[in-house]
Amino acid sequence: MPKVTINGQVYEAAKGKTIIQVADDIGVQIPRYCYHPDIGIEGSCRMCLVEVKSAPKLLPACATPVTENMDVRTDTQRVHEAVRYAMEFLLLHHPIDCPVCDQSGECWLQDYYMAHAGHDSRYPLGQKTRRRKAFNLGPLVKLDQERCILCTRCVRFTRHVTKTNEIQVFNRAHNSEIGIFEDRPLNNPYSGNVVDVCPVGALTSADFRFKARVWFLKGTDSVCAGCSTGCNLRIDHTARAAGGGIPGYTATDGKIYRTVGRRNVEVNKSWLCDEGRLSFHTLERWPRLRQASVRGKQQPVSALLPVIHANFESVRSDHGDDAVAALASATNTNEGLFLMKKYFKGRLDFRLGREVEQYQQQQDELLRRYDKHPNTHGALDLGLAGGLGGLRRLRDLAEKKEVRGMWISFHPQLVGEDAPEIIEDLKRLIEALEWSVVCTTHDFGWAHEADFLLPMAAWAEEKGTYTNYAGRVQIANRAVMPAGDAEPLHVLMAELLNLSGVEVPTDPAAIFEWIASEVPGYGGLDYDAIGPSGAAVAPVPEEVLR
Amino acid sequence: MTPVSGGYAVDVPTINVSERARGEHATIWSTFRAFAVTLRRLFTSLFKGDIPTINYPEESRPYSERFRGTHILTVRDDGSLKCVACYMCATICPAECIYIEAGEHPNPEIEKFPTRFDIDMMRCIYCGFCVDACPEEAIIMSREHHQSVYERSETIYGIEKLMARPGIDAKGPGYRPNRPMAEAKIFKKQEQQTCPFPSHIEERHPAVLYESMIRRRG
Ligand code: SF4
Ligand code: SF4
Ligand code: SF4
Ligand code: SF4
Repeated sequence: MPKVTINGQVYEAAKGKTIIQVADDIGVQIPRYCYHPDIGIEGSCRMCLVEVKSAPKLLPACATPVTENMDVRTDTQRVHEAVRYAMEFLLLHHPIDCPVCDQSGECWLQDYYMAHAGHDSRYPLGQKTRRRKAFNLGPLVKLDQERCILCTRCVRFTRHVTKTNEIQVFNRAHNSEIGIFEDRPLNNPYSGNVVDVCPVGALTSADFRFKARVWFLKGTDSVCAGCSTGCNLRIDHTARAAGGGIPGYTATDGKIYRTVGRRNVEVNKSWLCDEGRLSFHTLERWPRLRQASVRGKQQPVSALLPVIHANFESVRSDHGDDAVAALASATNTNEGLFLMKKYFKGRLDFRLGREVEQYQQQQDELLRRYDKHPNTHGALDLGLAGGLGGLRRLRDLAEKKEVRGMWISFHPQLVGEDAPEIIEDLKRLIEALEWSVVCTTHDFGWAHEADFLLPMAAWAEEKGTYTNYAGRVQIANRAVMPAGDAEPLHVLMAELLNLSGVEVPTDPAAIFEWIASEVPGYGGLDYDAIGPSGAAVAPVPEEVLR
Repeated sequence: MTPVSGGYAVDVPTINVSERARGEHATIWSTFRAFAVTLRRLFTSLFKGDIPTINYPEESRPYSERFRGTHILTVRDDGSLKCVACYMCATICPAECIYIEAGEHPNPEIEKFPTRFDIDMMRCIYCGFCVDACPEEAIIMSREHHQSVYERSETIYGIEKLMARPGIDAKGPGYRPNRPMAEAKIFKKQEQQTCPFPSHIEERHPAVLYESMIRRRG
């Protein structure tokens, strides 16, 4: 392990690391545009120049590996001047249209200008080179060539990460510009990531463009619920009422504006697939279910839960314990599923389709998996793939009148659509049941056939954990408030359990402690131990998978 | 009548109130003196035409050029809105009463324009910060300040009301500190009968985009 001195402090660094990686690890700020930890080294922006004793010239920190007894300084006059000149060149032909630029507020040019440059432009505004503005590279990405600083992060992303090579640098020298070939739009399934990696406002998201200025948004760390990979992301949503007191459109309960990839080397590096990135729009696809109702008559949730509990009790006493069952889905959190298992005494299933077969199958080499549920692994860990045999078998049991009363929690898939046969089976199941409770997020027509209809909080509206395909348990935080009267599943279940005489907290962290004390593999974990980047649990025993 | 210049009274004599109070004994004589003042005023206004009152609201006093009244959205030479929907005004506004929705302008050089621009005039404190913050001189203030309406919702001014209001002509614009930097026009109803909003607003609701992506990927 070489010993490196950075700004007078001695550090031990792993062999083969570059100066910028060591600096990042120890928290020394080195400005950079072209270097991105997940797409390889280019060394073209000249922002990360540092002074190394014994080297006559300044060295690029992103491309220089550390060596024994290297003495690095990032704070000398020479370094400051070099960065300042690099900034002046980068901004020479820059249009500085920050007021209309979607990046402003999170633009690295703005940040580094304030931190390292602060010069006045020596180039008259009218003589700056004009280039093409705001045109589509693909369905999700727009390019503004004037704002591009040619860091080639986007080019290297399509070259090294997706290996699709849509974006290229065209022409040479001052005429260099980023572009695509006419017949090859940027439409790979990961195209949205180039917007995240672009440090300036050159690449903007067609979906998020002009929706909101970023300084009005608040970021909440969460996990994508689009498939069993469980990519880490940040949900950007409104933090305060937009538009003040203007009636009708004051966003008091928050609105999600976009999601961006959050770096987690263990899961998704910095990337998200486009479907997952846009999956929050699925929540807007149907009208939300806002109120609880009994056979079409609206009732407060708090008044319904005791009735529901009494009904389950009477079915149990009339027809035996086995006449009651429950169906959830693998889009519910571990906390919700665990309490549900407790309340229904283990008679709970989560398999709507082929989740268990698919949850580890890759859809492509990068991130996506075929199982579009985030928590199949978690549901298996909780032992929910028991004797009930999934939706189809439950439907048969109900038709044979072996199951008479059921609780059905349905959270739609956030990516893609639930298979029509699932909806068909759900319909038949509800029809066959003597009485049923459907707890769902949206106002689905088929759900109205149920006797009791309860609104449930959707993804991003509840806090809880998902366990991804590889057995990594991660926290998804609440970003916005649930629609109407909706409550998270774990809260509804905690209240039912309280009615049945078991004292249960409604706080997800406390519920998780209970999980940790009972479920093998989760022992010793709590929300602090899981933290923002998740924690691995022991693998699912083979016999559970069968 | 007190001389007025640019909306402000000048040469107002200083009155020491406690001294005056000492001199004003509440006797019958002070009552007669007050009648005398009233009569003198009556005759001067009747015969000399020196009337200090005006027929408000048909007439009003001249206001300062820097008067901060209800806002005006200015226009370009072609009559389209000058505002580029940068949200600087909404960001600075201490009353949080500006609501903007931005759209894609057909001209990529302009890029952005407001598809919706509302100011809640009842919430506005007329501080003029929005005018200071605007990089385009797209929002300026007028010398109007009346809010006599039948419903509260009428005090929320949308683009059309902010662009063209009868009465701007009579009173003229008010607070406009960025004039030396940018030249913006005030929309005149006589020149163009309809408000020239860019007619082409690209339809790209997120759900629509999302659906089309799903279809494309099979
Ligand atoms: S890329 Fe950055 S500096 Fe350039 S116009 Fe956009 S916000 Fe401003
Ligand atoms: S478009 Fe953005 S990421 Fe691509 S080269 Fe230009 S500045 Fe870099
Ligand atoms: S005058 Fe002040 S309170 Fe009124 S809209 Fe402008 S910034 Fe807001
Ligand atoms: S009025 Fe001015 S500050 Fe407000 S959004 Fe329009 S251009 Fe920006």
